[in-house]
Amino acid sequence: MPERTVVIASRTGLHARPAKLFVQAAAAQGVPVRIRLGAGRSVPADSMLAVMALGAEHGAEVVLEAEGPGADAALDSLAGLLSRDLDAEEAPDA
Amino acid sequence: MAETAPLPLDPRAVRLTASAADRDDAILQCGRALMEVGAVESPYLDAMLERERAVSTYMGEGVAIPHGTLKAKEVVRHDALCVLRFPDGVDWDGERVTVCVGIAARGDGHLRLLSALARILMDPERARALREAEEVAEVLRLLEPIEEEE
Repeated sequence: MPERTVVIASRTGLHARPAKLFVQAAAAQGVPVRIRLGAGRSVPADSMLAVMALGAEHGAEVVLEAEGPGADAALDSLAGLLSRDLDAEEAPDA
Repeated sequence: MAETAPLPLDPRAVRLTASAADRDDAILQCGRALMEVGAVESPYLDAMLERERAVSTYMGEGVAIPHGTLKAKEVVRHDALCVLRFPDGVDWDGERVTVCVGIAARGDGHLRLLSALARILMDPERARALREAEEVAEVLRLLEPIEEEE
């Protein structure tokens, strides 16, 4: 199954805001994507609760996996998102 | 990854029968509950509203988790939660919220609290019990962290 290993770049980890952006992006893919932390079980990447429950900290390595048509493109897109500091993109006066 | 430390929930910060005019009112009530237990200073309330406008803190299972922005950490005195039940529901950008868990955390405390809370809510029975809890002691019991079974 296609996989991508990516290090969480957001300063505060994959928590509220970065998690929400990631979950929304995952849900918008045409293919189901799963995420796991270390040797843990994989969980649906489009579930806010499941992603938050991972508790992935800044610098943690997570693995994304998906199968089927479009899987590679979906994984590239989501891995790209996680490798950016999503907290830094918070609008100053948002 | 296992987090079994108790969540910092003061019984005085649990309200079983709150009611709010709208989402912002509910958030401000959470902020005031956190202030009353000495966890945050007043600028934290605006930071909670700011955070909510940037991205909804609706988490699923009828639960929202309002908290401040990163910048507001300096007005957090200690990590704390509050739990406000809104039996009549609050419209939260189209979602119906009946439980607000307000969060104040310094440093990396947010992640630990959010992760522990998410694990609790992923158990549908526990989430339902939290929405329907009628005693403060029950809320405290339901928010005891779940031990990792792995």
